Amino acid sequence: MSRRSRANGNTFVNNVRGPTSALTSFLNERGIRRANPAPAPAAEAPASPSPDSPDIEQSEEGTAGTSTVTTTTVSERTVRLTRGRRAAVSASTSRSESIDIDGVSDDDDEDEKDGVNLVQLPVSTRPVRSTRSAAASSSNAAASKAKGKAVETESKKRPRKKGDPDSSDDDYVQENAGYPSRSNFSHKRRLPRATNKIEFCSRCRARFTVKAGTTPVVDEDDGGLLCPTCAGDAAPVTPSQPKAKPIKRARRKAQKAEIECQVPSLQDLCISKIASCIEDVEGFGDISSISMDKICKIICRNRSLDTDTLQLFLDARLTDLTLYDCTNITANGLQNIAQFSPLLRSLKLKLCGRINNEVLDFYSEHLTELTSLSLFGPILILEPSYIKFFESVGERLERFELKSSTRFSLKAVTALCESCPNLTHLRLSDCNLMDDNWLAPISNLTQLKSLRIRNPEPDKVTTEAVVKLIQAVGSGLEELELKGIPSLEDPVLLDAIRPCCVRLERLNLMGCEDFTTEGVESLFKGWSLNRGLSYINLEGCVMLKDEAFTAAINHSCDTLERLSIKCMDELTKDALMALNKCENLSILDASWCRAMDDEVMEGLVKVAPKLSKVTVWGDHRLTECCPTRQGLKIVGREGDYIDLRFM
Amino acid sequence: MATQAASDDEYITLESSDKFIFVIHRDVATLSGTIKNMLSSGHFEESRSNFITLRDIKAVILEKVCRYWYYKAKHLNSVTEIPHFEIEPEYALETLMAADFLDT
Repeated sequence: MSRRSRANGNTFVNNVRGPTSALTSFLNERGIRRANPAPAPAAEAPASPSPDSPDIEQSEEGTAGTSTVTTTTVSERTVRLTRGRRAAVSASTSRSESIDIDGVSDDDDEDEKDGVNLVQLPVSTRPVRSTRSAAASSSNAAASKAKGKAVETESKKRPRKKGDPDSSDDDYVQENAGYPSRSNFSHKRRLPRATNKIEFCSRCRARFTVKAGTTPVVDEDDGGLLCPTCAGDAAPVTPSQPKAKPIKRARRKAQKAEIECQVPSLQDLCISKIASCIEDVEGFGDISSISMDKICKIICRNRSLDTDTLQLFLDARLTDLTLYDCTNITANGLQNIAQFSPLLRSLKLKLCGRINNEVLDFYSEHLTELTSLSLFGPILILEPSYIKFFESVGERLERFELKSSTRFSLKAVTALCESCPNLTHLRLSDCNLMDDNWLAPISNLTQLKSLRIRNPEPDKVTTEAVVKLIQAVGSGLEELELKGIPSLEDPVLLDAIRPCCVRLERLNLMGCEDFTTEGVESLFKGWSLNRGLSYINLEGCVMLKDEAFTAAINHSCDTLERLSIKCMDELTKDALMALNKCENLSILDASWCRAMDDEVMEGLVKVAPKLSKVTVWGDHRLTECCPTRQGLKIVGREGDYIDLRFM
Repeated sequence: MATQAASDDEYITLESSDKFIFVIHRDVATLSGTIKNMLSSGHFEESRSNFITLRDIKAVILEKVCRYWYYKAKHLNSVTEIPHFEIEPEYALETLMAADFLDT
């Protein structure tokens, strides 16, 4: 029934109910669909089912009524394409189903033009009959039930057709729900006419870009297209199909062996040795502080930092200490830090859930040199202890960082801002008592250079209060982060940041979804007060369009070193080509900017010699053959995660 | 010639920062995640030459690590109690750093 509605030209929705992978749900939620215009080789693509073939309708139910398990034969190509994306399918309890995933399927016309848009994706589903009628629309519920019964009786008489290309179960076929937003979104419509095409290489199965106006090399053997790598490589590649299975099995075996293995890892052995000889610190010899930090990271990664191993890092002359995982250190152990290293100037404790009032009070008394304190997750510390600490540390405190505290309150903030006027770095993230009233005392901190406010409770922090705060402290700020405050609106950009933040170098507006394209554009356009930013993060500002991005690049192209435009999916290729102006760019995150392609990358690689890392998750137009160079790390390229040996 | 190729494949060579050479069995070396990745991808020079230079690891430490690999290979699937692998305290920290790098 829903198949029919699709055939009628309605908008496509994922016609599957039942368990889906986390990625699929995420993409559905965001309204993101596979927009791959690349046609798969026609010979291998499964024939799309005839929309109103009654035979298929009936055979669909197949063995669903019984507990027999059927794995439908899906074409080789399907399996290859979807390998790795699929949740683990247990062959004994699940059935593989083929469903259709259209390419850009906003318009049915496009589907037809594309030739092959149907890529079959096996999804593991469990027959949960009871949910069907609930989810079906009420008008159709009775009818579908009746049909379900009819089909059930039918299925008892008729065994399942083997190799049926369309085995999608009616149970999981859903009525068209439509996407609330972005349902009319189409990359295809926004692309220029003469566009590059992505083709599959007939030899190695890798995807590659065919530039507009050029013709790719044709394989002499089977007439298919060849990617540049294969075209240049005269030696014929033997088809690796028969090899594939043994490799897979061997790998699984190796994994199994790994699990069974009882031999402790060398890291564990070393750490236990260190822990057992901890009293004899001299025995470890002289090690520089950089190595100590590295060792601390390793030990924390193994989750082995506890009261015993902590001793290794404490030294009477120590001035900086960062502990990456304090979960296993008791309150007493944390107190020892102040006891053994009284000269500490900077102390950073991550995951310090066990730190309590007594410990902080002890720090207030004994750490007389402390200028910087970072606490991540201090859930036990109460307001009076904070106030006492701020009063005792007073003007010395330059940097205060607090993350995930439910007890840090307005009184504590007021005490912080009154007692510690020399504060230059203030970072408050995930403090769920935070609201507008906190920002008034903070605006008295005239020395602030870096201000980060992250993830307050929704709607507690408003535009007006933030505008006032930035107008008060903005002139000194070098770094401003307003992350995860989606309620903020354009006045923050236009009335506060633009006129006040003249020294700003790093700006992070991650997840502030209410900023409009016009707002961001007019922030950057002709912003001559500011000489250019070195770091811009607009991650998750999904509604921003080309103009905003181009204005930002035009303003900061000479100074920009790090840029994140993750999830800014409205950007077109024309806008991304503006990246070619950023000669100093070293780190770029362009994940889920799906207009990103080989050509943009090529320009960027040419123009930015310092470029060291580009993150491109979900940029399907970037092929395996995209240009790169030594020293440049490309993370998340689709082709790197599909093992070509299995294709 | 054929035997030469076979033995080339069977053993790999590790060079420490102070130019000591360790020739160890390939299966044993691939107990290290790092070395396994170096050898298996086919994109790296190391996978063709079977020669890996470890610039940050001293010979004493690398020897210890190699001993550990053989120790692990020997007891990998043993059902009886396995003997303790002894690490000298003075090398513990450096061995830890090497083990972290080599994913062992």
